[in-house]
Amino acid sequence: MTKVGVIGAGMTLFRRRLEETGKELCFEATKMALDSAGLTRGDVDMVVCGTAPDAFDGVAMKGEYLLDGSGGYRKPYTRVFTGGGTGVFSTIAGWWHVASGLADVVLVVNEEKMSSCQPHPQSVFAHIWDPILDRPLKPNLVWIFAMEMNRYMTVYGVKKEDIARVAVKNKRNAVGHPCAQLADPNITVDDVLNSEVMAWPVQRLDISPPSDGASAVVLASEDFIRKRRIKDRAWISGVGWCIDSTMWTDRDLVFPEYVARAAKHAYKMAKIDEPRRQIDFAEPYDPFDYKELHHLEGLLLADKGEAPILTREGVTERDGKMPVCPSGGLLGVGNPIAATMGMKIGELFWQLTGQAGKRQIPHEVHTGVSQAWGDLMQYGSVVVMRG
Amino acid sequence: MTFLDRTTDARKFRHWPGNVEADYIYTSGVAGERFFVALRDEGRMLASRCTACHLDYLPPRMFCEDCFAELTEYLDVPKTGRVAAITAAHIDRTGAQLSHPQVWAFVTFEGIRGGLVHRLLTPPDQARAGTAVRAKLKPRDARTGTIADIEGFEPVRSRF
Ligand SMILES: [Zn+2]
Repeated sequence: MTKVGVIGAGMTLFRRRLEETGKELCFEATKMALDSAGLTRGDVDMVVCGTAPDAFDGVAMKGEYLLDGSGGYRKPYTRVFTGGGTGVFSTIAGWWHVASGLADVVLVVNEEKMSSCQPHPQSVFAHIWDPILDRPLKPNLVWIFAMEMNRYMTVYGVKKEDIARVAVKNKRNAVGHPCAQLADPNITVDDVLNSEVMAWPVQRLDISPPSDGASAVVLASEDFIRKRRIKDRAWISGVGWCIDSTMWTDRDLVFPEYVARAAKHAYKMAKIDEPRRQIDFAEPYDPFDYKELHHLEGLLLADKGEAPILTREGVTERDGKMPVCPSGGLLGVGNPIAATMGMKIGELFWQLTGQAGKRQIPHEVHTGVSQAWGDLMQYGSVVVMRG
Repeated sequence: MTFLDRTTDARKFRHWPGNVEADYIYTSGVAGERFFVALRDEGRMLASRCTACHLDYLPPRMFCEDCFAELTEYLDVPKTGRVAAITAAHIDRTGAQLSHPQVWAFVTFEGIRGGLVHRLLTPPDQARAGTAVRAKLKPRDARTGTIADIEGFEPVRSRF
């Protein structure tokens, strides 16, 4: 298998509503990623576009719609979609284009323009449910997260303030992110605990709201990287993805088995048998504060029920022993579903090549893991990268 | 009931009604804003220029899909275009008969990449490819900055 490196990344501002069309957002992120890799569109062999339900942008066949902005004109081009999992999965799809030897250079472009959907994207989220069993009850997506969060709290005796610490950490980490929508240098645990209750125990500041934005990364084969003498590269050393039962009621609400299976696959490829020792930092998917904790345990970077304790002890702070979401994550930077690739794959690239600026982890890091979560809340995608 | 039996009445079975209620507001984007504001306020049709590729895009784009340059130069599309292809619609999209056939045309402009699909304001028996046409705009007061500010394209009549 051909060794694959990430050689460039770019992302737009994340905002509640941006003037640019989805295509234009893709162009801005793609151009930035190509420029940072020192390449032009002519160097690109194939393009992968990642974007979540068409219903957010309000354009049927969104992959086709975004192709010109994504650099796909007259090239082999595919849209992939695994819900929120697309944030990491599209890079896995890009990886196999190169790892298979089919392409030397692949662009991966992710986009979401959720502000088009009125009055709120929640109205189309309502239709991911089973049309006969669930939808007649008019479920709200937050109910399900609330029950999962509550189950996690109940089983391990986790306090809400320890979960709120994740939101505080990530919103503070995002202060150094040029694209951030939700950075707040002064936020406190009390702010989170006093925010509006949406569906107990989920409160307003436990959640990352919808955004508009796009991100892009450039992948290349080892050969290409050597021939072009590209210095800033981070190698993709493991990939994994997994989906759990389609029935929400048939899953373990306390432990994300789908993440653990995806992680084990990625770790095996990357020859990691002691993840806590061999992985230096992590970018797990954090659209909710409790999900960062959930996912850290799924990634085997914390024992079951231990992630809140690590958080309380400061282990997951940027200058801690295992920095988690140094980008600011979805809670701090924003949540344009698939475009969160900028904080997952993009951040790994920037951290591992020393380009994270104010967000740079102060100690040396060699190996990072990123993970996204999606489909009907049971999909995990994992990528391990090395400097 | 097997797949070999055909039913054309889905409500014959026990069923649950459902609808995906979603409304949208779209932005016209960076290039779209230039196009629609110029159309509304000045009655002009703009294209965007890629100097590297010697291409002018209509509708204008913010970027060249080929060389991937950001496009910031805008120019007027020639007033007169030509009908490249036509069709006459006899039924609407629900399948209902239209009272009069509607003529639709793809209109291209000399030296411009792309073109516009719009109504052709002629009777069906006079619609043909190759006809020189011009955009007929709504009066300034009625224009709101959308593609419907153009009522359609009409044949250019000789002034003499
Ligand atoms: Zn060009």
